[in-house]
Amino acid sequence: MKKSLKIKDISLNGDAPITELNLDDLLPLPPPYDKIEEQPGWKRITEEQKGRIVCNLDGVVGLSLPRPETPEEEKKYVDLFVTGMQKLLSRENNWTFLQPLLLSLEYCAKCQTCSDSCPVYEASGKNDLYRPTYRSEVFRRLANKYLKPGGKLLAKLNNEEIELNWTTISRLYELAYRCTMCRRCAQACPMGVDNGLITHELRKLFSQELGWAPRELHEKGTMLQLKVGSSTGMSPKVVKDNMEFIDEDYSELTGFDVVTPWDRKDADVLLIHNAGEILSWPENPAAFTILLNAAGISWTLASDDPAYDGVNYGLFYDDVQLARIALKHAEVAKKLNVKKIVMGECGHQHKALMTIADRILLGDMNIPRESSMTFLENLVFSGKIKFDPSKNDFPVTLHDPCNIVRNLGIVEPQRRILRYLCPQFREMTPHGVDNYCCGGGSGFAVMSQNNFKDWRVAVAGRKKFKQILDAFADQPGPEVKKYLCAPCSNCKGQIRDILDYYGAPLKSGIIYGGLVELIVNAMTDLKEPFIKWEE
Amino acid sequence: MASINLHGNSYEVDEDGFLQEPDKWTEDVAKAMAEMEGITDLNETHWKVMNYLRDYFKQNGIAPMVRKLTKDTGVNLKEMYELFPQGPANSACKWAGLPKPTGCV
Repeated sequence: MKKSLKIKDISLNGDAPITELNLDDLLPLPPPYDKIEEQPGWKRITEEQKGRIVCNLDGVVGLSLPRPETPEEEKKYVDLFVTGMQKLLSRENNWTFLQPLLLSLEYCAKCQTCSDSCPVYEASGKNDLYRPTYRSEVFRRLANKYLKPGGKLLAKLNNEEIELNWTTISRLYELAYRCTMCRRCAQACPMGVDNGLITHELRKLFSQELGWAPRELHEKGTMLQLKVGSSTGMSPKVVKDNMEFIDEDYSELTGFDVVTPWDRKDADVLLIHNAGEILSWPENPAAFTILLNAAGISWTLASDDPAYDGVNYGLFYDDVQLARIALKHAEVAKKLNVKKIVMGECGHQHKALMTIADRILLGDMNIPRESSMTFLENLVFSGKIKFDPSKNDFPVTLHDPCNIVRNLGIVEPQRRILRYLCPQFREMTPHGVDNYCCGGGSGFAVMSQNNFKDWRVAVAGRKKFKQILDAFADQPGPEVKKYLCAPCSNCKGQIRDILDYYGAPLKSGIIYGGLVELIVNAMTDLKEPFIKWEE
Repeated sequence: MASINLHGNSYEVDEDGFLQEPDKWTEDVAKAMAEMEGITDLNETHWKVMNYLRDYFKQNGIAPMVRKLTKDTGVNLKEMYELFPQGPANSACKWAGLPKPTGCV
């Protein structure tokens, strides 16, 4: 039985976790996944690891922060945290998000409506630590106490005591990576408070001021992308080799002449994929090539780094890194003189390049950007390609990537395609802007150190897994092959891990993939099915 | 940084057990890592896959597409999981001394 948690607990009892997770507490799953003893659970952190890395939050370690060696080192980081808070709350250092941050700090009525909307909180069995308000309230109290005149006295009078020490900041750092920033809570809040944004601002403080960021997002993410062109490590030469391989492979498989165009100046469309698709889900870029060629679109991919990889992990933790990458994306588009950039099936790419980058892409750098969802809808209904929806006559449901749907409001285009091309399309409950996050949002899908992957699958992704199973509850057995459409690379990575974790492809017959694969699968001219049910 | 001890030698690994210094790789490292996942006998096909991975990595600085790996080695994905319990990335690449794949893969 878990104990209730107070805000001030975050500062106390340095080395010990402040909460404990038990499988029995988690949201129950429907059969055949309902038996606790058959659920994989998560790896325990070893004593050897505890001696090296900070493990003081919930028994889960996603960040592997080294333990400080001296009290001086601890103090250095605590002092940096204070200057970081000052910067977050000043216009010259935080022109990107200052106003919504201030409003979110000011207006929380502590009604907890947000908690009920949070999939992590609900799936955890309502663990106080995962309330959207918990980390926000810690930050609010710290800012009030340490930055406002008379703050220390007021903290006492208002009974809002909290200590700022190494324990507080090391826990808060790990806790900034227990929220997927899906912003379902922000949508639910009657006051418009955005606790997802507060998570984001905390991550930003840690990265920009303390130099703390997850290795997968920073060193192996944005830094690698800025160095070689892609967070996958693919150089321009390797990405072209790989696409050439995909072209040949899918020419053989489909009988079409699959040729992906590169670096065509003055093309109407520069398509930017998430490069992870090329390595892990090659059927997705192949399907785009087949479809765009069949429709006679003037289009191209770019081999200049980093415009063959649409990812921008800066969105998740660091405004400066985000800006560096977004600028480079736009520079390549400008050099090629394309009419617009179309986002591949990648949610955070949509948000980074279509909206947040608006703040820095000025004048002729402000090249029109479009979502693949609307772009594909226009293409499907243009009459240029013949479709036979009976080819997609199997159960299909749709996962709504938070960044595309709730955060950008692109809800219907993908549905109009599925209603037209998939006779057995059914919605999840709830869906659209009320969707639940896959649990891999905000970079989690690529983070898997220690036992973090177990946590993001078993806790953060639990609600989504239940939703997927519920959507197919009329035909739950593996004999009926079912398709989960998830038009986002991050979501696909997470969904793959969820399905594998529970053995769901075998037990329930569920496969997953993108949107464009379903469109190509329905093409009348296609001889063999494009979607392969078994490898 | 974590480390593992294999036959009396210490190797630096990341938190997922991937070798941090690829130059230190030897066939014995591969054997020891395989043993840790319960595979005590590495056969010809294991080595074919691992040698392919090492060659590709030397030339390109990253691991190959899985589809390319299966096509070029003639070992399909099902067989790949039988040979390497945690799959091409988390077992085959690891045993072959490649770093953990990065990005949205």
